[in-house]
Amino acid sequence: MSDSENSQFETSIPIAETAFEKRRGIRHVEIRSGYAQVHVTQLKVPISETRLDILQAVGNAEISVDFLKFTPTGVSFMVQDLVAEKTTRILENFGAMFSLAANRHIVTVHAVNMRDEQGLIADVMAHAIRSGAKLEHITDMHDRMLIVVAAEESELLRAALQELAQGKNGN
Amino acid sequence: MAIKVLKFGGTSVATPEARKLSAMRVISAVQQGYSPVVVVSAIGRRGAPYATDTLLQMIREIDPDVEPDAREVDLLIACGEILSAVVFAHTLKTLGQPAQAFRGGQAGIRTDGVFGNARIMAIHPVSLLRSIEKGFVPVVCGFQGIYVPPEGGPGGELTTLGRGGSDTTAAALGAALKAESVEILTDVDGVKVADPDAVPDAATLSRITYDEVAEIAHLGARVVHPRAAEIAMSYQIPLWIKNTFSDNPGTEIVTRGELAERRLTGVAHTGQLVYLSFHLESIPDSHRTNLESRIFEMMARYDINLYMLNLSPLGTGFAVSRTQFPMVQELLDALVIPLKDGEQPIVVLMQLGNTESQAVTTQRELLASLGKIHVVPVEQTEGCTMVSLVAASQMPRPALFVSVLRTLHEAKIPVLQTADSDLSISVLVPEAECYRAVRLIHDRFEGDAGALL
Repeated sequence: MSDSENSQFETSIPIAETAFEKRRGIRHVEIRSGYAQVHVTQLKVPISETRLDILQAVGNAEISVDFLKFTPTGVSFMVQDLVAEKTTRILENFGAMFSLAANRHIVTVHAVNMRDEQGLIADVMAHAIRSGAKLEHITDMHDRMLIVVAAEESELLRAALQELAQGKNGN
Repeated sequence: MAIKVLKFGGTSVATPEARKLSAMRVISAVQQGYSPVVVVSAIGRRGAPYATDTLLQMIREIDPDVEPDAREVDLLIACGEILSAVVFAHTLKTLGQPAQAFRGGQAGIRTDGVFGNARIMAIHPVSLLRSIEKGFVPVVCGFQGIYVPPEGGPGGELTTLGRGGSDTTAAALGAALKAESVEILTDVDGVKVADPDAVPDAATLSRITYDEVAEIAHLGARVVHPRAAEIAMSYQIPLWIKNTFSDNPGTEIVTRGELAERRLTGVAHTGQLVYLSFHLESIPDSHRTNLESRIFEMMARYDINLYMLNLSPLGTGFAVSRTQFPMVQELLDALVIPLKDGEQPIVVLMQLGNTESQAVTTQRELLASLGKIHVVPVEQTEGCTMVSLVAASQMPRPALFVSVLRTLHEAKIPVLQTADSDLSISVLVPEAECYRAVRLIHDRFEGDAGALL
């Protein structure tokens, strides 16, 4: 039986015809609210140790952090808006140089297996930057990218990324 | 008709002895009343005469400077699985079990038209069901399907499914045939809590959820491809990872509801990566976003895959795979970017690495007449790899993060960057320290892996 004959073959056996794999490219873009962005800078050397001490202090206070990233002179992460004040107090007590920006939104771009889709993450980044929204923080996983922006800029970013998704998916 | 899909990896079909053992498993399934459908990978692993990389080498060595067409490459590398399927079907026949080999297209596997990384769109398993009805065991080539373009064309185009393609074939066939279970048969006892090359006595997990196996597979565990796990999860097909060469019960993949407790899954590692940090302090704010956008546009245009992105007030950074790094190097070093936005146009010159290359020096001289040139140093850290701790559910952070970072810090293993998801935390470390990092993290959490947090 040839490959092309297969689809025309008549049979009494019920056939399960299914779309098996999730669609390639961006599947959807969502916004989550209620976060604060923390940038800690100019840490005392050795920076790697001071970073740990800061994270330990935050952890001891039972504050959950997300999107932890190392920067050349410090560390940045997200906390929930609800614990922004508590985080501020801890960082002040620590004597750290830091900025905490509340009322941040996380714009999440969902795309299956995106680290293996050639150039996709770079394309999302280029579009996100060109959207005009100021990207404050970013992290990537195998199936999504999360971008932190000020609340008032999240819809702008979402629109740009949805436009990219429509262009890439041809719909 | 109780169908069981049995997928045999390269080592399970590598030698006549291995094929016989594998075939006996198929016959045993028949004796238990199942109608097995077999999926096979190409014979052997890297370096074996019919393995995918050997076939690729055959065409690439004709002229390394001429990239072969993806369509031709697919036709070539699909031969590995065709050969394997025919040999395996005949092995079954010699043991008294009638069997028929099927190419992916003959098995009714339809894909999209992306050569080398096709996705399964539909399966029409008529010929497989007919074969079963006639008393044969169908042996299907993993990793391949056909794409029938909208404009038609006789027979369609052969496509391959990319990494983990045979696992994906098995899971998708399991869904299409409403199989009772899908068994991925390999040369390890199941899903380990760490790579046995790094931790020789790493325990085998008896049960793991679809989410965990997808996460740990995405992060480098090589037991089952995440695409297969995702299909199995979508269609709720019982999935097992077993060892062809042992009677170990293997690892059962189950739903989150069946294994609800909060626990660590294991440690994985992946990728030979190069981390690039772009120092943008000298770039005026009015031009910075334009410059960043141009960098990412270029990476997208050349299909560069990025990992572990970072933005900070001082610059931006990301990792690229070692295989794509030469292209990135060629693109970035001595690249001149004129930026017109903002109050004053500026010219940026990228300098890759700590020392100025001849190309950068030449560009600098040529551009001298334009006034001030903004040199952007791009620090490159070669030889990195990503080590990840995976958990079954939302992790308690930063406690775990601190624990991982402190463990590595005390062992003097530098952590270059981090990333985290709901189910994992990852650190970028020097490749030379990969196994030590895996071992240390494993030992730090030993007893927690597979247990309650």
